[in-house]
Amino acid sequence: MVENSKGLSDRLWGAFSSMKLGLALLGIIAFVSSIGTIIPQVEMEPEKAKAVGQLWQTMGFTHLYNTVWFRLLLGLLCINLVVCSVQRLKGIYHRTFNLTPPSNLARVPQKSRMVVQGDLVSLRDSVHEVSKQKGYRVTFSDQSDAWSFIAIKNRLGNWGSLITHLSFVVLLVGALLGSLLGFKGYFMEGSGNTISIQSIQLSKGTVSETFSVRINSAEDRILPNGERDNWYTDMSILENGQEVARQTLSVNHPFEYKGVTFYQASFSNGARFTADMNGQKIPVVLQDQGRSYFQAPGTDLYLVTAIDPSSSSQKSGVLYQVYKGYGEDPIQYGSLTSGQTIDVQGKYKLTLDGLAGFTGLQVKKDPGVAVIWLGCALLLGGLLLAFYWQPVVISGIVQSENGTKGSLTVGVLSGKVTVSAREALEQFVSSVTKILR
Amino acid sequence: MLESLETVMFYSLVIASSLGMLLYWVWLGSKNEFVGRLATVLTIIAVLANTIAIILRMITSGHPPLSNGYEFLLTFCLGIMAVYLYAEFRYKLRSLGAFVMPIPFFLLMFIIMSMGPQERIAQAVPPALKSQWLTFHVITAMFAYGAFAVSFGVGIMYLLKLSKEDNGKKLGPQGIVSRFPSLEVLDELSYKVVGFAFPLLTLCIITGAIWANYAWGTYWSWDPKETWSLITWIIYAAYLHARLMYGWKGRRAAWMAVFGFVAVLFTFFGVNYFLPGLHSYA
Repeated sequence: MVENSKGLSDRLWGAFSSMKLGLALLGIIAFVSSIGTIIPQVEMEPEKAKAVGQLWQTMGFTHLYNTVWFRLLLGLLCINLVVCSVQRLKGIYHRTFNLTPPSNLARVPQKSRMVVQGDLVSLRDSVHEVSKQKGYRVTFSDQSDAWSFIAIKNRLGNWGSLITHLSFVVLLVGALLGSLLGFKGYFMEGSGNTISIQSIQLSKGTVSETFSVRINSAEDRILPNGERDNWYTDMSILENGQEVARQTLSVNHPFEYKGVTFYQASFSNGARFTADMNGQKIPVVLQDQGRSYFQAPGTDLYLVTAIDPSSSSQKSGVLYQVYKGYGEDPIQYGSLTSGQTIDVQGKYKLTLDGLAGFTGLQVKKDPGVAVIWLGCALLLGGLLLAFYWQPVVISGIVQSENGTKGSLTVGVLSGKVTVSAREALEQFVSSVTKILR
Repeated sequence: MLESLETVMFYSLVIASSLGMLLYWVWLGSKNEFVGRLATVLTIIAVLANTIAIILRMITSGHPPLSNGYEFLLTFCLGIMAVYLYAEFRYKLRSLGAFVMPIPFFLLMFIIMSMGPQERIAQAVPPALKSQWLTFHVITAMFAYGAFAVSFGVGIMYLLKLSKEDNGKKLGPQGIVSRFPSLEVLDELSYKVVGFAFPLLTLCIITGAIWANYAWGTYWSWDPKETWSLITWIIYAAYLHARLMYGWKGRRAAWMAVFGFVAVLFTFFGVNYFLPGLHSYA
């Protein structure tokens, strides 16, 4: 029984330590991801995604990147990377810190070799000298009448590949943290209004925070040349009604409070009114084009508004409509200029105070972002080591002819780049011969 | 004033690079050293004109050259020719020009044929594009894509030389391919260029992610451009692995370099013209 399970775990380990599996997974992930760019995705095009065949929807092709099976693929790749890295760890360690000079001629790399003749002692001195000059770390092994050496340059480059591969695990952990502990939402609110963080529209996760957000002002700023500068929102964070933070944010300049980040996402115009119900003044902010409404308390009257296209910054004006219940046609409509007051169905008086900006803010909490940046740094550092800091390993052994003279056979380990490895060897050997003369 | 100077630079670039391409071909056939030198000089002129055009554009528009497809294609051309010139001087490899220069030529022809003056003028950038990260994003993309174009050219040379050598070894040294370096050198050069570009492509994706996180609050949203850059990345990652571990050198590696560049082109053209997404500006 125990043997059996050991066999299974060994077999699993064997399967996951294969780079073939890794490449196959990469290929499958690439292919599957490309499908997701052709089939409409719910997050991007909800309408088109609904029109996709039912079978495809059930299989998750319209929300492909969130499906369990796509995540399973990423998870398998992750296991594969960890297993491969663990397996290679020892080898990399030995290749970096534990190099042993060749014990016989066969141990000198055979593909690229050169031979230098000379006096044994001065050969050894010049190899030592050249290694120092060219930045190699050299180890000698001396026998009674012969010696051998191994020299390495850019030895940390050996770790590049391992760091790169493990960075994926870090990235995946970061993504997982974000999706388990974070949330993502959106709200649109007019200047002057306050909204509880609990009541925003969520697309992911749940909100545990309890503070509120007050929009002090929202502005669509246009440059003198007519181009849009940016959208600006001046917002405050309220804890139990007390302002604890205030900041102006704009696109590309988010604002973070206690791990929750606010991003300027959109902007819309609107108007600010005061409704006077028997002396009780209620501030009302409504979005342009009837995208939000006001239901006067205790009535079934619904007010919507649109900005009068002919209104200017000096003289702002709106068009308004009042609906009763679910009635299809407005029971009252007209236009209002700022400062003007009208009576709405004898229930309340409505005054236009002026125009007001509406700001659309993306709200996100993602505790995994720091881990993601760490993963990116590791990924990049690993790649730089692997490709811009390639190790060169040169080793050689002498063949004594008469005790004092002999020939030194030098070879270079040609890993990824044969031609440049040979170049490095040629430079090394020519320096050695130069010193000999 | 600056705008018309930019137009002059653009057409100088078109003329210099097209003539350069033709002369690389003539040189390949004639082996006339003067023609070869002239081809290189024309390419240098093209790079200068391209650089000036981009700088002028940045001065007039006040932002990095990425507000539309025209600006990005200009940057792409510069990246290709700059990396190519480096390779020509570093590896004394003039014959590569005959295979790399057609790429900027086709990109420039694409601009002339498909983009009217209206599409070429500097446009106002939406607030989301106003970010310092954009500059890094563009520079890394420029060199990475430029280098991938060069590895594509090297891959084509490898495949040509290989098929000629397979077909008839008796052709003698007169054939054009005899001017090519040995297969081994070509193969390794292709690997080196991909090895140079791969970290840059990674950096390009990372800077894009950082920027997206500032602008939209998501470092990765699987939009088609992102996904296709990931697919390109995976293809080159597979190229590097296959080469190291399975000794997929030579023919198969050359095909993968060609295929990888097709993915690069699709990431740029295909995604913009066939697939919707956030990245619709360039």
